[in-house]
Amino acid sequence: MLTVLLVDDDTEFLDVACTIIEFLGHEVLTATNLEEAKDWLDKETFDHILLDFMLPDGSGLHLLESLPENASTHVTLITGHPSVKGIIKDLCGPKVDYLVKPIQREDIEQALSRKTKSASTSARKKPGFTKHFGHLIGESACMQELYKLVGRVSKTQANVMLLGESGVGKEVVAAAIHQASESEGPYVATNCGAFSKELIGSELFGHEKGAFTGAVGKKEGVFEQAENGTLFLDEITEMPIDMQPNLLRVLENKVVIRVGGTKAIPVNCRVVSATNRTMEEIAESKVLREDIYFRLAVFPITIPPLRERKEDIPMLAEYFIQQLNEENGTQYQWQSTQLEQLTAYDWPGNVRELRHFVHRAAIMSDPESAELELPKTIESPFAKKQNLSSGLKAGRTIEEVEKELIYATLEKVDGNKTTAAEMLGISTKTLYNRLHAYGDLNDND
Amino acid sequence: MNEQQFEQLQVDVHDARRPLNRITMQAELIKMALQGDIPPEKALQALDKVIAECKSCSESLAALVDKFRPDSKAKSE
Repeated sequence: MLTVLLVDDDTEFLDVACTIIEFLGHEVLTATNLEEAKDWLDKETFDHILLDFMLPDGSGLHLLESLPENASTHVTLITGHPSVKGIIKDLCGPKVDYLVKPIQREDIEQALSRKTKSASTSARKKPGFTKHFGHLIGESACMQELYKLVGRVSKTQANVMLLGESGVGKEVVAAAIHQASESEGPYVATNCGAFSKELIGSELFGHEKGAFTGAVGKKEGVFEQAENGTLFLDEITEMPIDMQPNLLRVLENKVVIRVGGTKAIPVNCRVVSATNRTMEEIAESKVLREDIYFRLAVFPITIPPLRERKEDIPMLAEYFIQQLNEENGTQYQWQSTQLEQLTAYDWPGNVRELRHFVHRAAIMSDPESAELELPKTIESPFAKKQNLSSGLKAGRTIEEVEKELIYATLEKVDGNKTTAAEMLGISTKTLYNRLHAYGDLNDND
Repeated sequence: MNEQQFEQLQVDVHDARRPLNRITMQAELIKMALQGDIPPEKALQALDKVIAECKSCSESLAALVDKFRPDSKAKSE
């Protein structure tokens, strides 16, 4: 909450502005001329002064002289004419800005939240990135390729399957496809892994009143909600296999039957599905029926991991920090060495990990300063994955790589040594011998 | 138009802008009332004030034209 002094000789304006400022959660005191305003300044300390330029007993600028030199009070001069802004700029320091009448609520809101300053600074500064299809950031070759695919598929009605590691931004790409499609209907997103077997039918296809215990009213499923729009089904491979024939029926016939209902309701939407498994994994693990796969992946798009488009890291970091600055009224800026540090890291958690890292850095930093404080090291519990992929580099010994491979395999199979040995193509005995040599087994194991 | 007349025009325009500023603020109040942030009757009061300010603005503009009419007294002053 700020303490605000509002100085204007128009009492009706004062009245309404007070209502608005109080509604915004600030305390406000008023003065109709310089003398009254000076009196208030003697008695109170203000965070912000909204000051009319032309007052009956002189210019509002005279009040600035009455402000203590080291006061942290921010002043917004209210002028009737934009030409005054030049004079103000020359006369006053950075703590003074201006508003031109007629004033709107947003103007007052911005002036008081100090957002005017940071927003205008960031507006003046080159943003440093372009949002493709309103959502996607990055200019690397692989992203250009992605934009081409998004652009092409958005002109059709084809279902899209997005493949990519966790955190690459599958949902963001889905939203971009929706935006590029310029479809009339809404964008509806749901996560197939988030529902129990019992509830997923109701989530996808809706239910009729009394269809099951707790179904007190009828409900539209996401297929109906996304009519003429885009339905994003995240983690499609986590959908229970016995629910998949129902999904197939909807995709083939373009009609849904609500749980507990009999009426076939026609539906029309593009389905964008996503999974963090590779096509090979999907085929091998049989988590998705083949017929469903071909219905959903009419147009598969693989989103590259962040380590394959490192040149985009500074742009993304800049975007995230600008977002945080706008949300919190801060003015953090990246130093070039910090951006180099971010670019050097492999980000196994991809864009999501980068975003959280930037958020963490912003929390750790002093909000009054523009300098960002980065944690000394960028650590991630998923870093092993990254080590493995970067493990095959000249200069490492076969023993080192072998050890890493053994541990990575064990982790993948939750420590089951028989399965791990099988995957590694060695006998269980050899695996035990190796682990023993690494000092990771005691004699009881 | 000489300098003195221009100064007079600036003052008159400043006065004419005052009702516009009030109208804008009253419109903001109406928005708040419609969004349920303040009691709905405030919207009605605000609308009455908007109408009054429109009339006042219109009168100011009419007076301004009169003042700068070639044969008016104001011009000769």
